[in-house]
Amino acid sequence: MSNDKLHIKKLYALSSENRKFSFSLPLKHSIKIGKRNYEVKLKQDEKYGTYILWKNRRFPIEIIRSRQNKYEILFNDISYSFTVETPFSLQRMKVLNAQKGKADKESVKAPMPGKIIDVLVREGSQVLRGEPVVILEAMKMQNEIQSPVNGHIVKVSAKPNTNVMKDDLLVEIKVD
Amino acid sequence: MKIKRILIANRGEIAIRIMKTARMMKIETVAVKTAVEPNAMYLSFADVVYDISDKTSDIPVFLDIDKIIEIAQKTKADAIHPGYGFLAENAYFADKCIDNKIAFIGPSPDAIYKMGNKTIARRIAMAQKIPMAMGSEGNITNEDEAIKIAEKIGYPVIIKAASGGGGRGMRIVRKSEDMEKMFLIASKEAEKAFNDPSVFIEKYIENPKHIEFQILGDKKGNVIHLGERECSIQRKHQKLLEEAPSCALDEKLRKEMGKMAVQIAKAVNYFSAGTVEFLLDSEKKFYFMEMNTRIQVEHPVTELITGIDLIEQQIRIANGEELKFTQKDIKLNGWAIECRINAEDVQAGFAPDPGKIEKLSMPDDPYVRIDTGIQAGSAIVSSYDSMIAKLIVKGKDRKDALNNCKKALDKVWIKGTKTTLPFFRMLVRHPKFQSGNFTTAFIEKDLDKYYFNSEYEEMLAAWLATKLFVEENLNDDSINIDFRQSKEISPWLLNKRISQF
Repeated sequence: MSNDKLHIKKLYALSSENRKFSFSLPLKHSIKIGKRNYEVKLKQDEKYGTYILWKNRRFPIEIIRSRQNKYEILFNDISYSFTVETPFSLQRMKVLNAQKGKADKESVKAPMPGKIIDVLVREGSQVLRGEPVVILEAMKMQNEIQSPVNGHIVKVSAKPNTNVMKDDLLVEIKVD
Repeated sequence: MKIKRILIANRGEIAIRIMKTARMMKIETVAVKTAVEPNAMYLSFADVVYDISDKTSDIPVFLDIDKIIEIAQKTKADAIHPGYGFLAENAYFADKCIDNKIAFIGPSPDAIYKMGNKTIARRIAMAQKIPMAMGSEGNITNEDEAIKIAEKIGYPVIIKAASGGGGRGMRIVRKSEDMEKMFLIASKEAEKAFNDPSVFIEKYIENPKHIEFQILGDKKGNVIHLGERECSIQRKHQKLLEEAPSCALDEKLRKEMGKMAVQIAKAVNYFSAGTVEFLLDSEKKFYFMEMNTRIQVEHPVTELITGIDLIEQQIRIANGEELKFTQKDIKLNGWAIECRINAEDVQAGFAPDPGKIEKLSMPDDPYVRIDTGIQAGSAIVSSYDSMIAKLIVKGKDRKDALNNCKKALDKVWIKGTKTTLPFFRMLVRHPKFQSGNFTTAFIEKDLDKYYFNSEYEEMLAAWLATKLFVEENLNDDSINIDFRQSKEISPWLLNKRISQF
């Protein structure tokens, strides 16, 4: 990376929904809306914790996860996932994606820590989008974890009566 | 007898709510300190704290009848307030209190029992000629009988397993041609699931509103209602937002439903505060659903528009005092809305998000009331519900209340867990919610997005991700420089980041 540093003029933050936000380097502490630049301040104090001050408003922020170039950020109580790419890595990604085609596997992960009450599918089971695959109990509530896609189960990691952490893999589904 | 010291058999915001009124009435309170929440906020509101935090047990003490009675005796409490949940609707517990000469602040054990048993409650309502969704009086044994009854009550109907629950053995039937098939499926499903093929039929009320009436009764037989609450904004039968009054009711319907609510309460000689729940269909026909024999989570919206302190009334009634007002004295004034701010992840299907509340600050505008048992440093523990606070706002009418609600939501500041705030921010901006023309199906049917974010919020979040990337990968010096020169970069942020690796 260090050799590239001087040449990078732009960075892209790609959201999980494939929206692209581009920022020129060196990164300015302001965001342009129309013709005006509004200053972005990253702050922390005793009363509010960490926050961004923008257009005279405080927005609470947390960094939930950061791994390599992947960031999960909680901004005003809503979480966003981004991968930050340089022009080179973005180009490389495009090429790789074109070769690979669309992702054909979906991993269903535990949305919260809890206990697996029931696993409703087996390897090979056909599932429809919205069909429950696992029952997870957390805070006395039974939650149906549903399949996000139509497909069939290729891997079952969840076992009844075991505890799982947030983001533990429950099942893997091959998209039909 | 006059109550002098109340044991609060509960925790959290409702314990504090009760203790505030008790203090105003110069009555002492006792709270129980448990191992689960030894530093809970409610403890600081009590005159006496009974400490059992050195003992852990599988069931919460607030469900342990013998233990609660024992604590009341040891602390010389002459009354127990159960709050909501836990033992609040346990007839045996209420009876046990009376046996031990402790006043139970709630209705009689008899009323709790009758209204708690759905079959008995239905029978009472039927005897009182209260409109009900009920179709068949008992179980149905064959499809011919099913068709006959369905024809009588009119389609659509719902077939339910007699010993059922949880949605199994339930089938909605929209026309008589489908009845035979559906009856057999439901019956078979019921047999498989509950070892009992019996089913019964009810009129299926599509997309109703959930309307409930607040009741107050004294031990002399006076019963009045304090108007209705609209609780149609719910998800999987969990209420999220309540308001009072409801825009679905006019004065005539309010009077009619209120009269029915009072009538069913009188049928069980009801005293104390209670709630009669109805479903209201699109043609403004209403149906009795059930009666809750306790103070409810959403009671503050009624308090804000009637000016009556319901906890105070419960205590006075338990003391044997007569109601000081009649139905004519009750005036509904303005509009109130309650948002239940829970530690839940709206983006993950409202999954509970337990954790430690790191920062918390609430608006203090005159139109805002906050009922909470949580402060900065408190933990939302998985043993109890996920409520952080109830944000209750008032306005001179619904529009004004909604406006105040919108402003107040932006002033609530909670860090540490995800909350239902983004959901309410979306709700107050939703045209259908604003119109008042929504039903219990609103969350499932009318929403394509469960949260609100303004168009620049994602961009700011993207900027922050980029900022972090730059610091970590591109200019190694920037962190230190910023850190020394200003307070703009947080040491906490760095700590959090470092701990990830």
